[in-house]
Amino acid sequence: MSSENVRFTDFKSDKQPTWCPGCGDFGTMNGMMKALAETGNSPDDTFVVAGIGCSGKIGTYMRSYALHGVHGRALPVGTGVKLANPDLEVMVAGGDGDGYSIGAGHFIHAVRRNVDVTYVVMDNRIYGLTKGQASPTSRPDFETSTTPEGPKQPPVNPLALAMAAGGSFIAQSFSSDAMRHTEIVKEAVEHDGFSLVNTFSPCVTFNDVDTYDYFRDSLVDLSEEDDYDRHDYDQAKDAILNADKEYMGVLYQDENSVPYHEAHGVTENMAEIPDGAPDGATDLVREFY
Amino acid sequence: MHDDLNWAIGGEAGDGIASTGKIFAQALSRAGRHVFTSKDFASRIRGGYTAYKVRTSVDQVASVVDRLDILIALTERTVDENIDELHEDSVIIYDGDRTEFSDFEAPDDTTGLDVPLKALAEDAGGAIMRNIVALGAVCEVADFPIENLDESLEKRFGDKGEKIVENNKEAARLGAEYVADEFDDVEFSYELETTDEDYVLLNGDEAIGMGAIAAGCRFYAGYPITPATDVMEYLTGRIDQFGGHVVQAEDELSAINLALGAARAGARAMTATSGPGIDLMAETFGLVATSETPLVITNVMRSGPSTGMPTKQEQGDLNMMLYGGHGEIPRFVLAPTSVSECFHKTVEAFNLAEKYQIPVYLTADLSMAVTERTYEPDEFDMDEVEIDRGKVVDEDEISAWQNEKDQFKPHAVTADGVSPRALPGTEGGVHMSTGLEHDELGRRTEDTDVRVEQVDKRYRKVDTAREQEDFDYREFGDADADNLVISWGSNEGTLVEALDYLDEDDIDVRVISVPYIFPRPDLTEDVQAADEVLVVEANATGQFADVVEHDVLERVERVNKYDGVDFKADELAADIKEALA
Ligand SMILES: Cc1ncc(C[n+]2csc(CCOP(=O)(O)OP(=O)(O)O)c2C)c(N)n1
Ligand code: SF4
Repeated sequence: MSSENVRFTDFKSDKQPTWCPGCGDFGTMNGMMKALAETGNSPDDTFVVAGIGCSGKIGTYMRSYALHGVHGRALPVGTGVKLANPDLEVMVAGGDGDGYSIGAGHFIHAVRRNVDVTYVVMDNRIYGLTKGQASPTSRPDFETSTTPEGPKQPPVNPLALAMAAGGSFIAQSFSSDAMRHTEIVKEAVEHDGFSLVNTFSPCVTFNDVDTYDYFRDSLVDLSEEDDYDRHDYDQAKDAILNADKEYMGVLYQDENSVPYHEAHGVTENMAEIPDGAPDGATDLVREFY
Repeated sequence: MHDDLNWAIGGEAGDGIASTGKIFAQALSRAGRHVFTSKDFASRIRGGYTAYKVRTSVDQVASVVDRLDILIALTERTVDENIDELHEDSVIIYDGDRTEFSDFEAPDDTTGLDVPLKALAEDAGGAIMRNIVALGAVCEVADFPIENLDESLEKRFGDKGEKIVENNKEAARLGAEYVADEFDDVEFSYELETTDEDYVLLNGDEAIGMGAIAAGCRFYAGYPITPATDVMEYLTGRIDQFGGHVVQAEDELSAINLALGAARAGARAMTATSGPGIDLMAETFGLVATSETPLVITNVMRSGPSTGMPTKQEQGDLNMMLYGGHGEIPRFVLAPTSVSECFHKTVEAFNLAEKYQIPVYLTADLSMAVTERTYEPDEFDMDEVEIDRGKVVDEDEISAWQNEKDQFKPHAVTADGVSPRALPGTEGGVHMSTGLEHDELGRRTEDTDVRVEQVDKRYRKVDTAREQEDFDYREFGDADADNLVISWGSNEGTLVEALDYLDEDDIDVRVISVPYIFPRPDLTEDVQAADEVLVVEANATGQFADVVEHDVLERVERVNKYDGVDFKADELAADIKEALA
């Protein structure tokens, strides 16, 4: 498939999503598919890795080379795919539980490695698939089946984690603002290095606090703030750490980002191997003389 | 005079024991002598007893023995630790400035050579070279031309500059001269013959790493753990020369997922770990199998459970590899039986993984992984390496199907259980893989018929492999003997030698050494033909014996050792004798 003729619907599988009607993940996924098509990718050259959760089902509903893995481990898989074949466009998707709880360790390390993957986290501030327990981004007073009085602990700030780990592209979007969400994911795809897009993707079934209305009213769009410079680290730090507001847009982008595969000179497609031992293998034996 | 010589250097961790041992082992192998080394190390970096033993002969050697001929004792404890192995012809080299010989509880007739190792080393340029002085002394005692050391020293210190190399050569010379001058009235009964042969000297971990590169592996991810780390250290810096890359992952969960990602992208990929790491990988192992991803997972076993005895020998993870994981998971388990087999079985593991699109466990035990052995270099003939990538399909094949109104089916139900495989980037082959039960197209399903069909399909690979592959065993000893001894892993080398001891007692034994744990050769006839059947393994419960019993529906006897120390040939012979009695 030549990428000029690719339409975003080419990234849609023939499986009908089983998400609850109104779930934020519909919008998140549409934006991802549009971003991939508009940046000139085709399903043949794209690899999507998804975690486990309602959000993780995205791997099933999108059409590309893809792997739907185990809970929390999508980022290492995406990293392995990208390093083995840097020609592939790699997108990794999952939920806030998947990414910031069970997979938190991998998150920090993927950021730090600056692997060239786009990581979209569908942040609904709850565990959807397991039917409504607190997630690492839930508010301290958010009552759930496992936290009847609220988690009583501060939520994880994913943007701050990414910043602390040396993130080179840190963004936040909102699934129902289709245009902005698509734009932000597009920029993430185009960024050379690890891009985090924390996407508010409301769970209409289990979360009645972090709702569409809440995000619509509270999110501040950075693209409308004249004096915001995403390349200014200190400004980004303030916006991320001292946030009394929640932002939408690209909070930080390192202009000098060098992705892992380039920094380590891993730029060949490793799928290609000779019919026998590679040239020069005999020298390996000689080393043991 | 013995035709083989057993030498050791012992001291505290941090004394440079391993590198000194290695220098001597290499000098011997360059001089055309066979070498078998073993290490006794504790799980600490400084302090604590550690030793490096070298057994050398003009014939191939494959095990340790309970005899020490020449010992460099850097500490008193070295002698205490080895007291049972010393004999009346043993020579102990020590530094009287550091240790009093009278402190040694050495057997009366051993010869103690007080060599001022530190002082001579200082004369040569630095106290740090005292071990090299001792090596020079050993050359004199063993009548082994000291020139053989020179090349080893160049190899070891070459990149530190000419001066360092020269100083070390001088240190060795001073050690040799000291022994020649001061002890000229002492008769040594050792005389190490040299030959024109050129051998290579390597350990199991290195052989696995080399096998991986030979097999076209280009991606490795791992997390450091004894005794598997050497695989990663070997590949680092080497695999890059072949267009590959090593990632030190943040943990084993990541390591196996990184490797899985690379494998799905079409690379030959591997991870290596030891017991605790295998536990962590178990969840993803199921995903690898269900998504039918070719992956090689190396498990270098050590004493467990939990963190157990990380620097000690055991073959205790067989059950985990055979049965570990939730649900039912088809997998292959290969267990090389010697250092060179580590190389060959690694190559085979990659081929099997891709031919059958299945995870393959490759397992070595600690003894084999850290033991260095000499081989003829053509034992590792790179021209003989064959690569079989299995059913990888290209765009044309895919479009041919599509013209026939069929779709590309990554999990097509086939007669042999293996489906066509499209590597990402291949036009028309787009598909999703998942750990969820899926249909032929890879789409999630809970349809009862499809479930059964897919489970059967995945297990059918095992049957196909049984038909197509040669999952044979190795055999030695007396083919007609009534006594059958079955073993796996590194015990093979020790058994070869134990046969000599048994022979002395007129006990005939047939030995079968099994490198394929699953699928494995059918041992029914062999077991039925024997009067007595013993399974030898380094664990407490007899995990492989259980497997054999299950296969042959007959009770087999067990010889187990689980103290963390290698089987020794004479001890093993005695155990076998007792079990047969
Ligand atoms: C090892 C493991 N533990 C637990 C689960 C159960 N589980 C499935 S999804 C999920 C949480 C999902 O939450 P989140 O990542 O926020 O995604 P959402 O469903 O909200 O999109 C859990 C705990 C699992 N699949 N695997
Ligand atoms: S439970 Fe919540 S997150 Fe899951 S599909 Fe329904 S609305 Fe979406």
